[in-house]
Amino acid sequence: MDVNQYMGMFMEESREHLQALNKSLLDLENDAGNISVLGEIFRSAHTLKGMSATMGFTVIAELTHEMENVLDLLRKETLKCDENIIDLLFRCVDTLERLVESAGNGEKGEDVSALVQELKKITPKGGAAPAKTAAAAKPDAPAPDMETVAIELSDIDKDIIAAAQGQGLAGLHIKIALDEKCMLKAARVYMVMTSLEDFGEVIKTVPSAEDLEKERFGLSFDVVLLSGKDIDGMKDRLLGISEIVSVEINKLPDFAAGALTEDAARKASSPTAGAAEKHDAPAAKKAEDHKVKSVQSVRVDIDKLDTLLNIVGEIVINKTRLAQIGIMHRLPDLVETIEQMDRVTTELQTIVMKIRMVPISQVFNRFPRMVRDISRELNKEINLIIEGEETELDRTVIDEIGDPLMHILRNSLDHGIESAEERRAAGKKPTGNVKLIASHEGNNVVIDIEDDGKGIDPAFIKRKAVEKGVITQQESDKMDDNEAIKIIFAPGFSTASVVTDISGRGVGMDVVRTKIEALGGNVDVETKLGAGSKFKIRLPLTLAIIQALLIKVADETYAIPLGSIDSTINIVPTDISTVQNKEVFLLRGQIIPIIRLNRTLNVSAEEAKPAAEELYIVIVHMGEQKAGIIVDTLVGQHDIVIKSLGKLMTNISVIAGATVLGDGSVALILDIATVMQTS
Amino acid sequence: MSENRSLAKNSDETRVREEIQLVVFKLAMEEYAIDIGHVSEIRKMLAITRVPKTPEYYLGVMNLRGSVLPVIDLKKRLSLPSTAKTEDSRIIILSVDDISFGVTVDAVSEVSIIDKADIEPPSSIDTNVENRFVVGVGKHNNRLLIMLSVKEIVGLA
Repeated sequence: MDVNQYMGMFMEESREHLQALNKSLLDLENDAGNISVLGEIFRSAHTLKGMSATMGFTVIAELTHEMENVLDLLRKETLKCDENIIDLLFRCVDTLERLVESAGNGEKGEDVSALVQELKKITPKGGAAPAKTAAAAKPDAPAPDMETVAIELSDIDKDIIAAAQGQGLAGLHIKIALDEKCMLKAARVYMVMTSLEDFGEVIKTVPSAEDLEKERFGLSFDVVLLSGKDIDGMKDRLLGISEIVSVEINKLPDFAAGALTEDAARKASSPTAGAAEKHDAPAAKKAEDHKVKSVQSVRVDIDKLDTLLNIVGEIVINKTRLAQIGIMHRLPDLVETIEQMDRVTTELQTIVMKIRMVPISQVFNRFPRMVRDISRELNKEINLIIEGEETELDRTVIDEIGDPLMHILRNSLDHGIESAEERRAAGKKPTGNVKLIASHEGNNVVIDIEDDGKGIDPAFIKRKAVEKGVITQQESDKMDDNEAIKIIFAPGFSTASVVTDISGRGVGMDVVRTKIEALGGNVDVETKLGAGSKFKIRLPLTLAIIQALLIKVADETYAIPLGSIDSTINIVPTDISTVQNKEVFLLRGQIIPIIRLNRTLNVSAEEAKPAAEELYIVIVHMGEQKAGIIVDTLVGQHDIVIKSLGKLMTNISVIAGATVLGDGSVALILDIATVMQTS
Repeated sequence: MSENRSLAKNSDETRVREEIQLVVFKLAMEEYAIDIGHVSEIRKMLAITRVPKTPEYYLGVMNLRGSVLPVIDLKKRLSLPSTAKTEDSRIIILSVDDISFGVTVDAVSEVSIIDKADIEPPSSIDTNVENRFVVGVGKHNNRLLIMLSVKEIVGLA
């Protein structure tokens, strides 16, 4: 088998399973007795084992195999789930993550024998243990009413069936025989299973799912299904699959009677028809949900999506160019056609953008595990609450937002939330809460990271900032608490020595801010001493194509994102007055500072225009702050495709990127946040 | 590249002759060269947009079939005297470590193949350029070609 061909798929699916494992293990940690979570973990580990064995990654297969043995014992309740086992399983998942990545890089990966030994220690009889339990279950099977049932059921299986019967679902034993000429038995099994999923939940197969996959069975196999659906329809459907010669469906005896509480038993013994009818709806809905998922999503290579977006970008640019030609040469036919084309391109653009949207859960998913590890490390009790993980963002934003979020979260855990004793002393619950909430707000996505910790002390920040020379004493005196807190985002403030001294909230916060602003967003902080802090990150939905106002300074063209613009107005030079050496003017009673772009952008003096009689001002805003930018010419509003300036030109403070204009020339996009700060 | 290697008798020992291909260009009347492996294309002068707050040797950015590339004024980068653009001025598009950028040169003269044995280490011959930019000096048809480090030009070295 040419492994390379499948490598991408293997990596992607392995990562998904590992993420699922992490999540389920966290769930298990909170609820050690949860059989269904154990089942999920088992399935993920099992799939990983199968995939890696197929790909020839024997080390991964070996480790997952040993994990499976342990999980099987847990599932069968022969082994009790405790902290040590969960820790060990977490370590296995971490190791698997590294193994998968090194497999992806073509490296050999680490040695797992120590870990395997530890797992083996838990399962003293090695692989024999599960078999023994299965055998032990046999004599327990109530023989009398099992006449029609030629299938072994463990106590757990029976409990599950009983619970389902309690809900009015029927436990069905389905015996399926394949044609003796059947070539791809595993494929038939797969089709049978997929069909059965539409009818209910498969809880057991004989032989095991693994053996079925590997075609280690004769010509027939057995399935136990929980279903509220019509048996005849099921039979017809199964017989419709080619090479299936017979299907025998029998109802399992009522395990619920007697075994459960009176109430449940009463429900279970109510006429099956009525119960089935009642429960038909949810079952059908489940099947439908399943269908919607499997039919509508397609895995697309991210590079292809990027290429598609670039092409759409080129179309948008060329459309603009054509429009210019139409206007310049006064060609009404062309202008009219372009108006039509405009509609189509806008639609195309919207759709491509939508395709690139990814739920933020992709980023959020990695935090529960991180919070667990950090809170153990710090010996704090912390509860992470995640909301709005279904909120969608452009893939480019998703890729970039992980690190800043992690940074803020870590700070909240490390320095925001107090130890349990401190919390008790402060009259709070010992367990600290950290909330991670994503939501939509117009064309933005807002992510809040909120903790109920000790908050940030503005006086302390001020003192430290003065000490470190970030601000002067004079500036410090003038600052209110709100402004003081914002110092944590100042570049000079976040040197390592400062950080360890103070509450630590300064750790790389300037980096966080820079990153978020590079994404066209902004970050803000609200804090109350003793009550907690809240970081609010506002991000644009997408980064690829935006609306912008093109302006000129001397003969240079720049783009200002429309999202940052309030309005444009004209003033005369005498409207400008000077306050504390800064130029300002009055707009409806509000004092607006003036920014002279030619100075900010170092436009050479000879190119700068002489003072005009009338000045064009673009009023921009960043959060609550406003400023008026003096420009020489307003060119007009356009859709622009954002292009990066490349690795060589990162960190140019006032420039957010570039775009190609209709005439093929490059215009730079202004980063309004830094323009306002540096002017 | 087996055709570039031929066996030649050199005193008693047999040694492998290795050749490299260079793109040769002019900067302020001197001849310089860059390993062809780094050169992706050569363009006539294009419109370049100045980018504020970048080092002086950056001319700005240009549009190369839809992507935006930085352009470095190679004479400024090497602290050579500035001369006016002419008809012969070119932008050489270079790439190193997945980074693409352009450098301006006064003229591109030729693509030459030179024997590695004819390359002197940078320190042995005095050039007008700071030593860190020079990876070697090649002797080719009685001319001296100053071979430049692409990584050093973009400051990646």
